Amino acid sequence: MDWLLDNALVQDIIELARPSLFNIYFALASIPIGFPLAVLLAVMKNSSNGIISRVARIYIYAFRGSPLFIQFFMFYSIMLAFNLSHWKPMGIAHIVMHPLFIGPMVLILNTSAYAAEIFYGALRTLPKGEVEAAMAFGMNRRQIFRTVTWPNMIRLAWPAYTNEVVFLFHATALVYFTLPVINGQKDIMNKAGELFERDYNIFLHFGVAGLYFLVISMFIFFVSGRIYKRLMRHIGTDPTTRLKLAPNYMR
Amino acid sequence: MLDSLSAWLALNIGEQASSWFDYFTNGKHLAWYASVRFTLLAAVFGALLAVVFGVLGAAARRAGFAPLRWLGLGYTTMVRGIPDVLVFLFFPLAFEQTVEWFMSRRLCSAEELATAVNWPPCSAAQWYLSTTEYLIMACVSLGIVYGAFAANVVHGAMNSVPKGQLEAARAYGFSSRQIFWNFQVRQMWVYALPGLSNVWMLLLKATSFLSLLQIADIVQWADRLGAPNYSSRVGLVHPDWRWKYYFVLFLFYILLAILSERVFAWLQRRASRGLALHGEH
Repeated sequence: MDWLLDNALVQDIIELARPSLFNIYFALASIPIGFPLAVLLAVMKNSSNGIISRVARIYIYAFRGSPLFIQFFMFYSIMLAFNLSHWKPMGIAHIVMHPLFIGPMVLILNTSAYAAEIFYGALRTLPKGEVEAAMAFGMNRRQIFRTVTWPNMIRLAWPAYTNEVVFLFHATALVYFTLPVINGQKDIMNKAGELFERDYNIFLHFGVAGLYFLVISMFIFFVSGRIYKRLMRHIGTDPTTRLKLAPNYMR
Repeated sequence: MLDSLSAWLALNIGEQASSWFDYFTNGKHLAWYASVRFTLLAAVFGALLAVVFGVLGAAARRAGFAPLRWLGLGYTTMVRGIPDVLVFLFFPLAFEQTVEWFMSRRLCSAEELATAVNWPPCSAAQWYLSTTEYLIMACVSLGIVYGAFAANVVHGAMNSVPKGQLEAARAYGFSSRQIFWNFQVRQMWVYALPGLSNVWMLLLKATSFLSLLQIADIVQWADRLGAPNYSSRVGLVHPDWRWKYYFVLFLFYILLAILSERVFAWLQRRASRGLALHGEH
């Protein structure tokens, strides 16, 4: 057993296990809020109301057009600027200034823009006949959204949304390049950097870090593929409807 | 020239305008504006290399020699599993290490090599990189990362070239190498352009990573300029203004995105002249 634990590769895998939980946390904390926000933004962008549509359009363009790296710096410095005047007097500084709060916050703002563009694309390609049939049945807008728009949108957007989730997970690597590390809460990149400083073996440490990202990404693709199969179960087992892992690189 | 402009502003518009003008044209601000060149150089040369790596990667993916094909597949799949920032940092650091390893074999004594705990084993083998060298490495790194994205795009575009064109070329007796380079690669650009414009947008955003390779780029200067600024003459010049400077960068990148979109729309129109593409008349 000892020879196994003494192995440098195994050591690295053990050392990076805890940091990987932080990356997973950032992704998991961002998706439940980012997803509904993205759907809302997509519906807003698709709205016939000019002002609502324009607001969503500008938001999506701004967050897709600028680097996440800059967004992290910008929102962190905005939070810092409000720290003494607002967060401290309100007594919430230790929560809202924490990387575990700011990280997901910025990731949510970012991923909702990318995902909204995906859902908007799906909304544009909804089968027209189904919407018209629902209207002919006398359904109201809410019923149409629930029974036609929503399920079709999710099915159409699922492969691209899967890609977005994987890219979101990759984006978590940026969190601790911009935010301070508190209580040794390091993520994969941070820990790999620390190990690299120790013995300068970049091939080993960055290799294992890459392996962690690779394995978790593959896991996301796998789970998403199962969900996609379930979403498409009424279509039958046509091989062309299988989730392809590289439908587009829209990010 | 700047001084005379400042004096003109003070005379014609007011002291306020003049002092703002002085603030935005002080040495540090001028250095900030000048550092935009790193970002643009990295974007342009990174993109050129990305196209080269993209074509090579796509060519490898359809090679007859199986190991080469696997290499191509591995390269294009890499971006799906590993974050760009990791790959971006890996190549320069790994290259630096490799060079230092070879230098240490030549320059360090045997006992230094045997007993060294730190890297490099002796100080003679230390390679101090200049900004230019780091910038070159950043370009190569961006080229490698986004070349993998581009290879996916190019691979798809090559399949979109009408089969009839290639069959006609074969009927005329061109060799398969000629068919590949002179027909398939020649004709695929118009199909690849929308995808490549996407890759360019990604690459443009990734130029914000330059400061991670110790290049004093716009991000690093924004941080320096925005930090609370004291001077012995006036006291506190400004409090923490970092968010304002980062907001300017935020707008700068959005502006670049709008500009690139225009350029690519123009390129697409130009490239598809005389072609009966899907969805056009």
